[in-house]
Amino acid sequence: MSTKRLISAALAAATAGVALLMTPVLAHHASGPFYDPDKRVEIEGTVKRFVFKNPHAFLFVDVADAAGANVEWQIELGAPVSLQRTGWTPETLPMGMVVKVTGQPSRAEGSTGICCVRMTRQDGSPVLSGGRVEEAVQPPR
Amino acid sequence: MKSQGFGKGKVLCAAVLSLLVWHDSSQVNAQTDGAAIPDLSGLWDGGGRARPVNGVDVPWTAENFPVLNERAIAYQQVFEEIIAPKYDCQPASSPAVQYDPYNMQVTQWPDRVLFRYEKDDQLRTVWLDGREPKSIDFSNQGFSVGRYEDGALLVTTTHFLFDITGFDDYNGIPSSSQKVVTERYWMEGEDLHVTLTVEDPMFLREPASYTTRWIPAREGYVLSAFDCDAESARASVRFFPSKYK
Repeated sequence: MSTKRLISAALAAATAGVALLMTPVLAHHASGPFYDPDKRVEIEGTVKRFVFKNPHAFLFVDVADAAGANVEWQIELGAPVSLQRTGWTPETLPMGMVVKVTGQPSRAEGSTGICCVRMTRQDGSPVLSGGRVEEAVQPPR
Repeated sequence: MKSQGFGKGKVLCAAVLSLLVWHDSSQVNAQTDGAAIPDLSGLWDGGGRARPVNGVDVPWTAENFPVLNERAIAYQQVFEEIIAPKYDCQPASSPAVQYDPYNMQVTQWPDRVLFRYEKDDQLRTVWLDGREPKSIDFSNQGFSVGRYEDGALLVTTTHFLFDITGFDDYNGIPSSSQKVVTERYWMEGEDLHVTLTVEDPMFLREPASYTTRWIPAREGYVLSAFDCDAESARASVRFFPSKYK
């Protein structure tokens, strides 16, 4: 699977303040200390592990880098106590599923994390059958 | 003579029994002075449908942001996000837990009111029977006592443990064992409202206060177990570029 890393200050500025999240994110902590809201990153990868536990669900995906080696990316999602009320379960993102993700990259140098994401299946359809993929204003974290 | 003595004995026994019953009732029904008791019981939604979700400026805005003393400012300057105990699943306490965007359940018993918070599975007990805390009652949620007055529930909580992020989840403001939180709960229509005031002379120059509300939870809602997971709580910590070596 290919990795497309789009880090554009202009693009980020255009989308700053517009949360790209298909699932509700509820407050546990502020994302700013961990993720850069002024940058965007886009990946496509294969689900390796889906941790569906409070306070935040996390998705781990394998993404091929430019050299073709697999790099693990960690995607922060919302609180399962709320996600489950919109139909999410621990089986929503099974191992081997391919997803496309766009979001804010993690701050620590060399780290591969994303938050505040817009996520779809490989073909662009919603992760949840019957669900919608939309960009919505994200409440403060 | 004997019958008269026996009759007096029965009267005395009856009087003693009456006193005991009255005393016992006063412990079970702490509020028997005619104070109007509001119906606060039920499942309440404190999420985005009810109020703005918390953040660095919610519920503490430019208008009501706490006035910090030099000690609090010094703590803020050395604070960094990843030392917050919530990343090890330590639950939020007052005044943060009341504003967390999750659901809550209120149960009113004659001698206590129970507040169960879905976030972090927290249970606060507000004692209505006049009991007072002891030194062993220091805890994350403190010790709460309350009474009904003018159609509202008044709560006072003391005996909080020191908490490096005991004021809120976003501003790195600590709270001390001297923190006192007072709350006034009342109903407006179908909504539950609260005005909460925090005093902490170790860190605040003056009391700080916010007012907010909950709306009835969606029909059929049942609180879920939160079961904070240690791995999930700390998973993003490695993404934080610490200023300390």
